[in-house]
Amino acid sequence: MTSMPQYVKILLCSFFLLLAVLLAGWRYSQQPKPVALTPVLSKETEYCLTCHANLPEISPSHPVETFGCVICHGGQRLALDADLAHSTMRGGRNPSDLSVVEVSCGGSNCHNRLPNHEGDLYGNQIQRVQTSLQATYAGAIAQVRYAFGAQPDPSARMGAFAVQDTTLPTSTNITSLSIFDPKSEMNPAIRSFGENCLYCHLSANPLPGPAYAHLVGCAACHTPTANTTLEQPIHQLTLAVPYTQCNICHNRGNYSMLDMQFHPRQDQAVDRLRDYYQPIAQFTHCEWTLDCVDCHTRVEAMGDGDLHSSKKEVQYVQCRTCHGTLAEPPLTRTIISPNDLAVYLAFINPVVGDLQVGDTIVVTEKGEPVWNMRRVADGNFELYGKASRKRFTVPLVLNSKCQQKEDEQAARYCHTCHIVERNSLK
Amino acid sequence: MIKMSLRGTKRRSNPLSRREWLTLAWKGMLAFCGLLGLDGLLRFLSYKPESSPPTVFRLGLATKYPPGSRTLIPEARALLIQDTPGFKAYSLVCTHLGCQVKVIGEGLTCPCHGSRFDLQGNVLNGPATQPLHPLVLEVQPKGDLILYII
Amino acid sequence: MRPSFFHHLHPPTIPADQARWRFTLGAGGLSLFLAAVLLVTGLLLMFYYVPTPEEAALSVQTLTFLVPYGGLVRHLHYWAAQFLVITAVIHLGRVLLTGAYARPRRFNYLLGLGLLILILLLDFTGYVLRWDEGIRWALVVGTNLLKTIPPTNLGQAFYGLVIGGTEPGAATLVRFYAWHIVGLFLPLLVLVGWHIFRVRRDGGIAAPPLEVADGILLGDELRRRERIDRFELVRRETIAALLAMAVLLVFATFLPAPIAPPIGTTDQQVAHAQAPWFFLWVQGLLHLGDPFWMGVLVPLGILVLIALIPYVLPQPPPEEQGRWLPRHGRLAQVVTVVMLVFLIVFTLRGLLEK
Repeated sequence: MTSMPQYVKILLCSFFLLLAVLLAGWRYSQQPKPVALTPVLSKETEYCLTCHANLPEISPSHPVETFGCVICHGGQRLALDADLAHSTMRGGRNPSDLSVVEVSCGGSNCHNRLPNHEGDLYGNQIQRVQTSLQATYAGAIAQVRYAFGAQPDPSARMGAFAVQDTTLPTSTNITSLSIFDPKSEMNPAIRSFGENCLYCHLSANPLPGPAYAHLVGCAACHTPTANTTLEQPIHQLTLAVPYTQCNICHNRGNYSMLDMQFHPRQDQAVDRLRDYYQPIAQFTHCEWTLDCVDCHTRVEAMGDGDLHSSKKEVQYVQCRTCHGTLAEPPLTRTIISPNDLAVYLAFINPVVGDLQVGDTIVVTEKGEPVWNMRRVADGNFELYGKASRKRFTVPLVLNSKCQQKEDEQAARYCHTCHIVERNSLK
Repeated sequence: MIKMSLRGTKRRSNPLSRREWLTLAWKGMLAFCGLLGLDGLLRFLSYKPESSPPTVFRLGLATKYPPGSRTLIPEARALLIQDTPGFKAYSLVCTHLGCQVKVIGEGLTCPCHGSRFDLQGNVLNGPATQPLHPLVLEVQPKGDLILYII
Repeated sequence: MRPSFFHHLHPPTIPADQARWRFTLGAGGLSLFLAAVLLVTGLLLMFYYVPTPEEAALSVQTLTFLVPYGGLVRHLHYWAAQFLVITAVIHLGRVLLTGAYARPRRFNYLLGLGLLILILLLDFTGYVLRWDEGIRWALVVGTNLLKTIPPTNLGQAFYGLVIGGTEPGAATLVRFYAWHIVGLFLPLLVLVGWHIFRVRRDGGIAAPPLEVADGILLGDELRRRERIDRFELVRRETIAALLAMAVLLVFATFLPAPIAPPIGTTDQQVAHAQAPWFFLWVQGLLHLGDPFWMGVLVPLGILVLIALIPYVLPQPPPEEQGRWLPRHGRLAQVVTVVMLVFLIVFTLRGLLEK
C-alpha cells in the first residue's frame, strides 16, 4: 500500500472513473446515428440505411420507401452491428439465388402470383424460372448423357439441381429432375462434361473474368454485369436487358464433345456487329440491331412452368412472328382492358412508351404480347428496342417481293437471302 | 482570509476556508455529474420505437354510403355521416379523457364518465367540455372516399 | 463527522490485519458491488425487454443498438454478471484457503454457497432470456439434463415444471424471466442480507484472538492490535467501487455482450455449440459419459463436497485464523486447490475448443 492519504487515493480513483466515462462517451459518439425506414409493405422499421444510405435504388418498380431492404434481403432489421445485421440475409449478397428466391422474390404475394393480368397465361415467374432450361441445364445434360449412352433417350432426367414440377398438368410428362452428379457417372466423357462445361446455368459460379461475370438466380439476366468485375456490388434490376448480358453465357465460344472442353471465341469484338454473334453464326440485320429480349419472349427465356428436355421445345419465336408471311400479316390483339398484361409491361419498362386501351399490338402464336411492337396510324407497325431505345418500322412480308415458301418458316430459310455478310460491312 | 471590497457592505464574518471551499467544489462536481446521469437516464427512458399508426383510411367508393346513413369506422375510431350537404366524419374519441363514445339512438354517449354528444358532435351533457373533433374527408376523382385523422 | 446510515451498516472498527486487500482480496465486497450494479442495470433493462419468443431477441437488439445508452446498460449488466461469478468463486476460494469456514462461521459458509448457486442460476436464466440462436442449445441441453433424473416420472415432472410445457417455448421464456427478476433474485437479496448479518454476528472477518502479553506490546502484537474505523473502511470500499466501476465501463465499452440472430431465423447449423462459459466445465464432463452422472451427479457431488468441508474436515483453530493457508487446514486446502484446478482446466478446454 502506498503512503498516499486516503482522500488522494479516492480522488485518483474518481479520476480513473471519469476517464472511463469519457472513454465510453467518446466511443458512443463514434457510433453512427441510426437512420430509420418504415417500409409501407412490411410496416416494420429497419435501420439498414444507417450504413447503406448511398446505395442506389434497385429499380423504379421497387422503391425503398415501399419495400425497404429486409423484405427481399432478409437480415436483422434492428441491428447496427454488421455481423449480426447481415447474419440472416438470404443468399448472401444476392437474394435472387434460386435456393432462396421463393422467399425473397416470391414472398407472400409477389413474383409467385397466379396470373392477374388480362392475357397473362403463365404467372408465377418463380416456379417458371426454377423449372426453366436456363436454370436446370436439363437439355444439355440430357443430350450429353444420351450421346454417351448413359440414358436410352434424350428426354431430360437430371438437372443442375433437383427440382419438381409443382404446377401439373405438364405438357412434357416430366414431373421432376434429379440432381446431376458428375462423380457418380461411369462414362469419363460425361464426368469431364460435368467438370468443364457447367458454368452457364442460373446457379453456376461463372468462369473468372469480366467476359463471363454474372450473378446467380434472377440477377443472372436482370442485373447488368457484362464487362464488369463482380467485386463491386451492382444494386440494379432492369427489364431493359441488353444483348451483352445474354452474351455472358451465349455466343461465348463452343463446347467440343470431342475433348469435352469449352473453347472460348477468339475474335476481337470491335463493334456491336462483330461482338454480337460468333464468327460462324448466320444472322439477319434485325438480329444484331435489336437486342435478344426484343424478340425472345418471356416464356422462351423464363420457361412456361413445365420441365423440358430441349430448348427446341421452348423456343418458338420465328421471323414471321413480327414480319408475318406472304399469306397473312403478323397476329395482333387490340387492347380492350386497362388491366391487359401488355399495358402493364409497357408501363414498367421505362424505355418504351405506354400503351392505351384501343392500341393494337402484335402477339405470338402462344398469345404472348410483343408489347414493344404496335400498329401506328398509317397501318404500319413500329417496334421499339427495349434496351436500345431505337425505333424501327417493321417491314411486312405481305405484298413484298419475298420468295419464301409457306411451310418454310425456320430462320435458316430467311437467312438464305437476308444474311448479313460480316466482311462486306465496314 | 478572503478580502472583499464591495462598497457599503459589511465584510463577511465567516469567510470560507479552503477545506470548505474544496468540499463545496467537490460536492458541486458530484451534483453536476448526478445531473448528467439524470440526463442520460431520461434519454434512456424516452426512446420510442418508430411506429406509425395509420392516419389515412380508404373507405371505398362514396356511393357505398347512401344518403342519411351513419357508418361506424372502427379502425379509425370515427363515425361517417352522409347528410344532405355531403359527407361528415367525427372522431369517436371522447374529448374528456379519451374513451370511445357509443352511438345510442340519436346521440353519442361515453361509457366512462357519462359525457353525451349530439350527432353534430356538440356537447349535450357530462364532464366533457369540447365537441367531438371533426375529421377531414376527401372524395377522389374516381369516387373513392378517403378519411384523414391528423 | 457523524456517521451516516451507510457508515452504521459497518462495524465501528475492524482489525486492520484482516482488512488488508492482500488478505480478503476484496472479493466479498466486490461481489456485493457487482450485485448492486446488476440490480440497477437490470431494472433499466426491464423497461425495454419483452419476454415473448417473437419479441425477446428483437427487444434485446433494440436495447443494444437503438435505445440511447441501451448498449452500455446491457454490456454493463453482462460484464457485471460474469465478473460476479468470478469474484464469488474467488471469495469462496479465499474463505477455504484462509480457514474462515471454521466454527462459528459454518452456517454462513453454507449461506454463501447458496448465494453461489443463486448467482449461477441467475447467470443462466439471464443468458436464456436472449432467446437467440446462441443460447438455444444450452437451453435444450440444460433442461434435458433434468429429464435424466431418475425415476423417469420425477425427471419428467421436474422438466415440465421448469419448462412450463412439453418443450421449450413461450411458457419457458416467461418462467425464466420470472425466475430471473424475482424467483431467484428475491432469495438472493434475502441471503445477501443474512450472509452479511452473519458476518457481523460471527465476529466480523475471521481474525486471530487477541492475547495480552505481559503489559508490553511487541512489534508483531502491535501490528495485530491495529484496527481501522468504519470511516476508513468505507473509504476503502469507495476506492474499490470506483476502480471496479471504471474497469466495468472499459469492458462494457470495448467488449460488447454476445448477441446472435433470433431463434428460428437461421437454418445454418453451428459447427460447435458452446455452453455459457461458466458451464463449460459441465459441457466438458458431458463428453465423458452418461448424462445423469456427468451432468447432474458429478456437479452436485462437487457442490456437496464443498459444502461438507467445514463439517467433515479438520478445522483450523482460532489462533490460526486470519492468515492464508493455516497449518491445520491442509486437507481442505488441497481439496480446494484440486477443485479449482479441475474447474479452471475444464473451462479452459471448453474455451479453446473452437
